[in-house]
Amino acid sequence: METIKLARARTLAGLAAMLLGTAAWSGTALAQVVSNPTTSAATANTNAANANADTNAATANAAGRGQNNNSSSASSRAPTDPGVRGGDPGAGGALPGLNDVERQYFDVAKDVFQEVDAAADGLGPTFNLDSCSGCHSQPTIGGTSPATNPQVAVATLMGAKNVVPSFITANGPIREARFVRNRDGSPDGGVHGLFVITGRSDAPGCNIAQPNFAAELARNNVVFRIPTPVFGLGLVENISDGALEASLAANAQQKRALGISGRFNRNGNDGTIARFGWKAQNKSLLLFSGEAYNVEMGITNELFQNERNSDPACQFKVTPNDSTPLVSENTASPSASFQNDIDLFAAFMRFSAPPTPASATATPVAQATGASNVTAGQTTGTATGASTASSATSTMVASATADVSSVLATAAGASTAQPSSSAASGASVTRGNQVFSNVGCQACHTKTFTTEKSPLTGQSNVTIQPFSDFAVHEMGTGLADGVSQGTANGNEFRTAPLWGVGQRIFFLHDGRTKDLHEAIQQHASRGSEANAVINNYNLLSRDDKQSLINYLRSL
Amino acid sequence: MRVWLYLGIAVGLAGIGAVLHGAMPSSRDDRIVQSANPEDGKVIGGVFVSDYFNLSYRLSDELTEGLAGPPPSQSGYYVLGTWTPKRDFAGTVLVVAQDMFFTPAPSDDVKYVVAEFRQVMSAVDGMTIDREPAPVSVGGHPGYRIDFSGVGLFRSTFAIEIRCHVVTFNLTSRDPESLASLAGSLDTLGSARKEEVPDPVPECLKDYASENIVSRVEPEGVGAKAVSIPVRMIVATDGSVKHVHVIRASAAQRRNIEEAVRQWKFKPYVKQGHPVEVETGVMFNLKPANT
Repeated sequence: METIKLARARTLAGLAAMLLGTAAWSGTALAQVVSNPTTSAATANTNAANANADTNAATANAAGRGQNNNSSSASSRAPTDPGVRGGDPGAGGALPGLNDVERQYFDVAKDVFQEVDAAADGLGPTFNLDSCSGCHSQPTIGGTSPATNPQVAVATLMGAKNVVPSFITANGPIREARFVRNRDGSPDGGVHGLFVITGRSDAPGCNIAQPNFAAELARNNVVFRIPTPVFGLGLVENISDGALEASLAANAQQKRALGISGRFNRNGNDGTIARFGWKAQNKSLLLFSGEAYNVEMGITNELFQNERNSDPACQFKVTPNDSTPLVSENTASPSASFQNDIDLFAAFMRFSAPPTPASATATPVAQATGASNVTAGQTTGTATGASTASSATSTMVASATADVSSVLATAAGASTAQPSSSAASGASVTRGNQVFSNVGCQACHTKTFTTEKSPLTGQSNVTIQPFSDFAVHEMGTGLADGVSQGTANGNEFRTAPLWGVGQRIFFLHDGRTKDLHEAIQQHASRGSEANAVINNYNLLSRDDKQSLINYLRSL
Repeated sequence: MRVWLYLGIAVGLAGIGAVLHGAMPSSRDDRIVQSANPEDGKVIGGVFVSDYFNLSYRLSDELTEGLAGPPPSQSGYYVLGTWTPKRDFAGTVLVVAQDMFFTPAPSDDVKYVVAEFRQVMSAVDGMTIDREPAPVSVGGHPGYRIDFSGVGLFRSTFAIEIRCHVVTFNLTSRDPESLASLAGSLDTLGSARKEEVPDPVPECLKDYASENIVSRVEPEGVGAKAVSIPVRMIVATDGSVKHVHVIRASAAQRRNIEEAVRQWKFKPYVKQGHPVEVETGVMFNLKPANT
C-alpha cells in the first residue's frame, strides 16, 4: 500500500509540475507571482491619489524633512545671507500718479489700517493681534512680520491671562495657527485664534478658554502661516486672468525641462483666478480684508457677518462689528468717511505702491570669498544684457540691477558678511540676476506683468515686477502643511512674490527661517516641483550662489 | 511512474525559464504594457525601468536616485525620475514626459517642442545656445538634442516621442566633460521588454474620442469645482474601454470618472482592414456648479 501511495504521489507531483510548466508557458502563473508590476503600479497609484490625505504636515517646523542633501562637495560651502537690507523702506506710500482725492482716500485708509481695536470695537472673542499694522509692519506699515513679535505683549494686555504658545517667541515670526485635522480625524485646516479676550478689563464676564495648543502640538496637528506683505497688491488685482494664463504658458517648455508645472487656484463661484494668500485662496483684496478682520482680529464685518465664537458673554458690540456708516465719520477724505473698515483696508492695499528695489536704496552685499571668480568678461557681458532687459521691462519698479550704489553690511544677521566695493556689489547683484534666470527661479517667480485699464489715475497698463506667477505649485513633503484651500491641496503653495524680499526677516509660509540660502534649500523635498531648480542651485559655484542671495536682497 | 515525474518537472522548469528569460511571447507583457501608467517607472538594481514607455536606462555609477518629483500635473506632465551626484561628480539627470493629448497644437510635436524650448532658453539673460537643435536617435527613438549653458552650468536636452508623449532627458553639469559623460550614459537606453515580444502598444490617436464615441456616460458628483481632469484610456478592438488612467484628480473624482468611462463605447478602430486597439485622451473640464 505504501508503495502504491508513493507512486501515486509521484505521479500527481509530476502532473502538477507539468501543469505549472504549461501555465508558465502561457504566461499566467509564476511570472506574475514572482514579479507583478501591474499590482505594483496599482499600489503606486493609490498612494499617489491619497498623498494629500496622508500627508503628515503638522510639524510646521519639520525643516529638513526629506530635504535634498545632494549638493556636491565642490560647492557645498553655503553662501552668506547679508540679512535685511537697511536704509529707506522704499515701500508703504501711495501709488505714484494718484490724484489728490485718491491720495486723501489712501491716507485715511492707512490710518484705519493702523487702528488698534478693543473689545468695544468687536475684538475677539478669539484673535491673533489687535491691529492690521501690528502684523503687517516690516519694513514699514503694510509689510510683514517685524523683528519683535507683538503677539507676546498682546497675550496679557489689559489683564488678559493668555498663555503664550511655545511657537510664539519674542524674536520669532508673527504666526497664525491652523489645525490640520479635527479630533474625529476629519480635515480642519482653519485658523484657531491664539488668544481670547477673557480677563481683559474691557471684556468683563467673558470666560472662554484658549485652545490647548500644547495638546495639539503633541498630536502633531498644528501648522503655521506668517503675514504676507500687502504692498502693490492693487496692481496684482488688476492683472487679467488672460495675462496670468499667458504667462504660465509662455515659458512652459522651460518649466517642463525643470520638472515644473503649476496651476491656478480658481474661485469656485465664477472660475476666475484667485491670487492672494499663501495658497492663492483669496479672490480679491476685499475678501482678503474681510476674512482677516474676522479670523485674525475677531471683528465681524459685512463680508463675514457671524462671530466665530458666539458666546453671548463675550460680545461687546453689535454684529457685525463693522458696518458701512450712513453718517459721515468726518475724515480727511469725504469718500472714506462713508466707508466701512474692510473697504478701507482693501483701499490701503489697492492704492499702495509696490516695494522699491535697491536701485533707490542701499543693499547689503556679502562678499564672496572668491569674488574674482566672477570674471571681468562675464561681468561686462552680462551687465549690458541685464540693464537692457531691465529698461525694457520696468516702468513702475526700477531695475534691481542697474544702480546699486552703496554697501551696508550692518543689517541683522550680517555678522559674517564682509563689505565689498560698490562696483563689486553691483557686479554681484547683476550676476545674481542672471543666476536667478539661468537656474530657473524665474520660471515660477515670474518677473514682469502688465496691468489692465484701471479706474485709478495713472494706473492703467502699468508694468510691474512682482516675481510671482500667482499659480500654485506642488512644494513637496518638506513644506506641505496638509491644508487644502480652494483647489490648492495640502502640498501646494502659491509662488511667493519676491518684490521686497530684500527687506523681509522671515521666509516661507511658516517663517521657519531667516536665511535666504536656507529658504532656497527648503524648496526641495520629496514631491516638490522645485527639486530640479534646487539641484541647479547646488551645482553653482559658491560665488554664484552668493550673487543670487545678494540679488534677492536687492529686491 | 518515475517517467511522468521527470517529464513533468522538465516541462515545468522549461516553461518557467522561458518566461523569466523572455524567450517566449507572454500575455503578461501585454497586460503590463496596457495597464502600466507613465508615472509607474522605477529604479531596479541601478536600472530605471518604465513599462509604459518601454524604456530601460542604466544609471551612471556616479549618480544616485534623487528626490521624487511631484505627482502628474493637470496638463498630463510627469517627472519620471531625477538623479543626482553620489559624491564629487558634478551633474544631474531629470527625465520628464508631457502628454501630447493635452497639449494644444502645434506644441504637440517633438520638433516644435524643441524649437520652442530653444527660443525660450535663448531669451534667458546670459544663456548661450551651444548646440542648435539637431536630430538624434536615443534608444532607437528618433528625436532632437539641444545644448545650452550659462552661469557655469552646461546643459543638454534630448527629446523623443513615445506613445504620444514627448519624453525629455535633461542633463546638467558643471563642466562640458561631465556633460559629455552624462550624454554618453544615454547610450545605455534600451527597451524594457525583450525584443522577441511582439509590440502590444495600442495606436495612440489624439482626439479619437471627439468623433468616435457611440455612447458616453458622464461622471457623477465631481462638478463642484472649476478644474480640468486629464484622462487617458485604451479602447479595445470591440470599442469597449479596457483601461482608464485618470491622470490627476481627487480620489472621489478618480473613482467616478473611472466608473463612467468604463461604460463608454467607441467605434472600433480599423487599420489596414484589421481592428486595432486605440489609446486616446479626454480632458474633463468641470465647471462650477452654478454657472
